[in-house]
Amino acid sequence: MTSRKRAILIQLARLGDLVQSLPAYVGIRRAHPGVSIDVLCPVPLTPIADLFPAVGRALGWDGGRWREWGCRWEHDAQGVCGQAAQYLTALVSHRYDVAYNLNQHGRAIVAAHLCASRVRGPGAGGVLSTIVPPWAAYLRHVAATRGVNRVHLADAFCGLCGVRPPSVPPRLEVRDTVLPADLSAIGSSGGCWIALAVGAGDAERVVPPEVWRRWIAEFLAADSSGQVVLVGAGAERDAARAIQDGLTGLQLGRVWDTTGRLSLAQLAVCLQRCRWVLGGDTGPMHLGAALGARAMGWYVARARVHETGPYGAGHAVWQAEPSVGGGPRHWPIEASLALLLDGAGDPVVPGWSLWQSRFDEWGTMYSSPREDDADAARQREAVWQALHPVVTEVTS
Amino acid sequence: MTRMESNLQQLGGSPGELAGRLRQAEGGALALVQSRSGHPTAKAGARWVHSAYDPVAESRLWAEAQQTSWKDGEVAVVLGVGLLYHVEALRDRAGRERTIVVVVPDLREWRDACEARDWGTWASEICWLSGPVATVARELAGLGAPLRLLPYGPAACLHEEYYRALEAGLRDILAAQASGRVHVAVVGPVYGGSLPIARYVVSAMEQLGHRVTWVDHSLHHASYEAMGAIQSRRNQQILQGGFGDLLARFTLARIAEDPPDLVLALAQAPMSLGVLQQLRSKQFLRAIWFVENHRHLTYWQQVAGGYDYWFVIQRGACLDALRAAGANHVSYLPMAADPTVHRPMELSEAELREFGSDVSFVGAGYGNRRDILPSLLTPEWSFKIWGNEWEGADALRPVLQRDGGRVDTITCMKIFNASTINLNVHSHTGRGFDPEGDFVNPRTFELAACGAFQLLDRRTLLPELFEDHELAAVSSSEDLPAHVRRWLHDGPGRDAIRAAARARVLSNHTYVHRAKALLSEVGVSEPDRIGALLRGAREAERLIERTGDCPELASLLCAPASRQRVELRDVAAEIRRKGPTARLSQAELLILMLDEYRCETRDVA
Repeated sequence: MTSRKRAILIQLARLGDLVQSLPAYVGIRRAHPGVSIDVLCPVPLTPIADLFPAVGRALGWDGGRWREWGCRWEHDAQGVCGQAAQYLTALVSHRYDVAYNLNQHGRAIVAAHLCASRVRGPGAGGVLSTIVPPWAAYLRHVAATRGVNRVHLADAFCGLCGVRPPSVPPRLEVRDTVLPADLSAIGSSGGCWIALAVGAGDAERVVPPEVWRRWIAEFLAADSSGQVVLVGAGAERDAARAIQDGLTGLQLGRVWDTTGRLSLAQLAVCLQRCRWVLGGDTGPMHLGAALGARAMGWYVARARVHETGPYGAGHAVWQAEPSVGGGPRHWPIEASLALLLDGAGDPVVPGWSLWQSRFDEWGTMYSSPREDDADAARQREAVWQALHPVVTEVTS
Repeated sequence: MTRMESNLQQLGGSPGELAGRLRQAEGGALALVQSRSGHPTAKAGARWVHSAYDPVAESRLWAEAQQTSWKDGEVAVVLGVGLLYHVEALRDRAGRERTIVVVVPDLREWRDACEARDWGTWASEICWLSGPVATVARELAGLGAPLRLLPYGPAACLHEEYYRALEAGLRDILAAQASGRVHVAVVGPVYGGSLPIARYVVSAMEQLGHRVTWVDHSLHHASYEAMGAIQSRRNQQILQGGFGDLLARFTLARIAEDPPDLVLALAQAPMSLGVLQQLRSKQFLRAIWFVENHRHLTYWQQVAGGYDYWFVIQRGACLDALRAAGANHVSYLPMAADPTVHRPMELSEAELREFGSDVSFVGAGYGNRRDILPSLLTPEWSFKIWGNEWEGADALRPVLQRDGGRVDTITCMKIFNASTINLNVHSHTGRGFDPEGDFVNPRTFELAACGAFQLLDRRTLLPELFEDHELAAVSSSEDLPAHVRRWLHDGPGRDAIRAAARARVLSNHTYVHRAKALLSEVGVSEPDRIGALLRGAREAERLIERTGDCPELASLLCAPASRQRVELRDVAAEIRRKGPTARLSQAELLILMLDEYRCETRDVA
């Protein structure tokens, strides 16, 4: 009897990156249907990796513990090495046939070699190899030059793994998870439920509370059955309070503050019950998109729509033009409401451009209603063609 | 059998001589009182040594609190006797294999403890030490294990002097035995008087064989100055404040890239409280040598709690003020000299002509100097003043050299060496000598190290640094001309003092001495970290000894070229040197992973 081949997908970055790894995961499944695939991600994110369709196991990588061992090594080299080896054995009892590594840093490359006999993606040439696989080199180049690029990061992840993007945008599979009693009614009544991600990974990407407050007030005024759900981690509770501070009692009756109150599994349930999810380039927004909500992003600072816009079709991103000193002076409040409520396209907002997503054989691509995107589409296809030999390589 | 005899039997394992001494001792150091819980408790004068309510419960809490600091492999040294409830509680909580030593400074107190209540068998599992401080310190050091000092405050404060001397003794022993290499990040200021001190500290640490990361902010001085040219005072402050924050983050990034064992800042180093808190969250040990007058430069109030260790050049009120502001560990560490810089020099005729004079003064034009120095303008001797900030001191203009321009270190040394009498008047904004003058400035040590003769204003901390025959000090500014006159005509007297002062600096007051003292002070309080490093516990041989049945790890430890301290980065670098095509074992991959996380900087900087 031949044992089933085993693979592990490694994504050690943040929530948004893990969600953006879903197309690569699905692409690998499709290309190698007989292979069992586990996902390795930071410990706190395992509830999300658990939602990957037909995932083998979601394994939690405890970076904090490695850091502590690293600092303690000189005190007790043997003890630390012993504990680290035990930890690894408990995590990965048998080495995988192949590790699909999506991160370029040394930690992920070494992890890939510790877990598997063979590595795809960064580190494919060996743990100390200086040869960078073509897709990894491409991503590095884009990050370094911030040049023109129309290949979505999630699709580039597919390239790193040697597979094509999936034929349809993949979805996460929500499990039965109970929301806290006072929040269980979220999404249960009719009307347009909007999830609003109040925070952002970086301070410079945060939308000011007074902007969100105005947006909420205008939305609630325009849609009498509309409801707003504020989502975010515990650290974002103050921001959520600041948003609510200036709202009237009637308006607050239609605002649900979940910040700091939901586990990731509960957050997924909550987002799945919303029609739209709004926010900066944040993990919850990508999570909402992967759960079937339509996403609308407000991208400022270094966030770039073409690389990290919400994955799939039907999403919208307002991209702020680079400005000197401070964030945008105007925010696309009315225009985004018009798009959300009426589907009206191409409103002009000074300092912003609107991009909407579509999906094709090369994955997700964002286009402007005011742009002929034929050149951009060709550029994207050219990248895939250039890296095609790697894409078609058989991996199992 | 009396309670005392019964208790003494518990000391069976201890030297019989100790029990004998206890029998002969008189009690009465403590007043015994019954606590609310019914257990005997004690007072020393008006001070409670144990809880008046429940000394047993209180001691359990104390013993529990010690567990976090008392690491495996360390010997616990309890400071403070009282009725020994806390020792019993500590013994109860600790495994039998762990060693507890109790240092007894006063046999009378111990006898009170012996008569106050019945000891159980726990007393036989304690190592008791009593006697002169030096003997006890030697015995403790002779145990050959890291020592964790655990003061029981209410009882330890009864013998503060004894315990302080004991700590100093342990520190000296550690300093004398130090053979290991510590990695110190020295963070200097952008400019100012503490900048050269920072450089001397770097040099001293390196001379001692330690590895130094020198975070040199003087590189940014020109930018800082450029911001000073902004005319709007408000904008200038905003820009310079922001620049300071940027430099603090730069420091953080440097430290994160190559994590040191100790971060040592010099006064005025751009280290904000926020940055210090970030360093603390990453468990970096943080120390500062505040080489400034705490009465004049008061920013220490904002950052007192940000450092684990404060080293200051003043005693008394300075130590109290810092402790009151939240500093945990404050120690006196006087200034010093660097004999590689501050040294006797052979000068050419031309140099002697340019820099020489009967009397000289090098320094900035502080108020008291403008007040005092005109009294030395006389045809009896030649007089030269060097240095800047003398604008408006018209009377001194004829003797001001180089039109009041700055004097660099090498020129300064030439002046010291060329002058018959060097005046060393500590700065003060008032008139005359500083009436609160306590600390001794670096100039004192530098002149002495040069073998130059100096006349300085008397300072309260001077006698513990130099003896009378090593320096000529003046008590009142009015007496200064008379002292100049006297010493100018006493060549042999000057020579004797010059030689004695230089010898004293070389044997006690160099930056190498200070660096040693600083590290051993931290080492005594951090036996598992700096202490272990100083003892050489991380050197290759010792690490290999401890690898036990793990030959693969032992072979990795053997690999780095340096036979001294082996750091994780060295072993990882050795593995990386195997080249891009190398196939690595799991042990090697684990080392690389640990090293990757050791220098993981994303959430640090």
